[in-house]
Amino acid sequence: MFKELDPILHSQLRLSIVSTLMMVGEANFNFIKDTTKATSGNISIQIKKLHEAGYIKVKKSFKNNYPNTTISITSKGREAFENYVNDLKKYIQPGK
Amino acid sequence: MNKTTLTPEESLLLITKTIEETKKRFEENGHIIILWGVLMFTVFFSQYIFSLTGLYKKFDIIWTVILFPLGMIYTFIYIRKTVNKKNLPRTLLSRVIETMGWAMGLNLLILGFLFRQQLGDAMAPVFIILLALSMIVTGASIKFKPLFIGGLLLNLIGFCTFYLDRDYHGFSLMLGAVVGLIIPGILLNKARRKENV
Repeated sequence: MFKELDPILHSQLRLSIVSTLMMVGEANFNFIKDTTKATSGNISIQIKKLHEAGYIKVKKSFKNNYPNTTISITSKGREAFENYVNDLKKYIQPGK
Repeated sequence: MNKTTLTPEESLLLITKTIEETKKRFEENGHIIILWGVLMFTVFFSQYIFSLTGLYKKFDIIWTVILFPLGMIYTFIYIRKTVNKKNLPRTLLSRVIETMGWAMGLNLLILGFLFRQQLGDAMAPVFIILLALSMIVTGASIKFKPLFIGGLLLNLIGFCTFYLDRDYHGFSLMLGAVVGLIIPGILLNKARRKENV
């Protein structure tokens, strides 16, 4: 009756990362860390999973001689997020 | 933070919270708007005082040439520092506001220094109208009504200035600085402080 929620997005930190990226499109690692208030290690693991799923793009570069990781949402990621929200709505308001 | 047994309600709440948190980090506190309002008021008020004391020709240009570029340098440093401190990414909205601000500032500066003669009596109204446009767009973009209304009033002051004698243009600019920049800037600052309590 109910569609299964996307397991990639149905995790607190991954959902938080993707929600942030839905707002800004592209952000560096520190911005995501400050917004989600999670640890660097945990964020790295979840970013890897989202990247493997094709939901985000990761670009590593240097900024003022420091490593700078930029993460952006892909069109597949946007679509997955939109579907996830629509599925959530069906769970919450089954009649609609 | 990696709970996997989220209920649909918790998921929606998490999305809303994250979006709110992200939005908060981009919020402008009105600091730059107040600064430019005070700067504008100071420049035109001092011009008025100089004209009363007969020192207009001696100090007018130096005053304007020093204060406005100083304001631009401060704005540039402040924005760069804020962006770096908060690791802010450049969103479409922030790009639009930033580009509009710089384009408007440069145009006003070029008009003021290079086309003063050509513009003649229209200088002050054109200055106010251009400023009003940037306030209206910024107010509408960040969804802050007082700034939007301040921009509209500034726009109105600009058109009314066409009907005023040149001697009173300074008063229009001062009034514009208070109505279009200082008051909305203070209200924006207060609103942001209230949100962060």
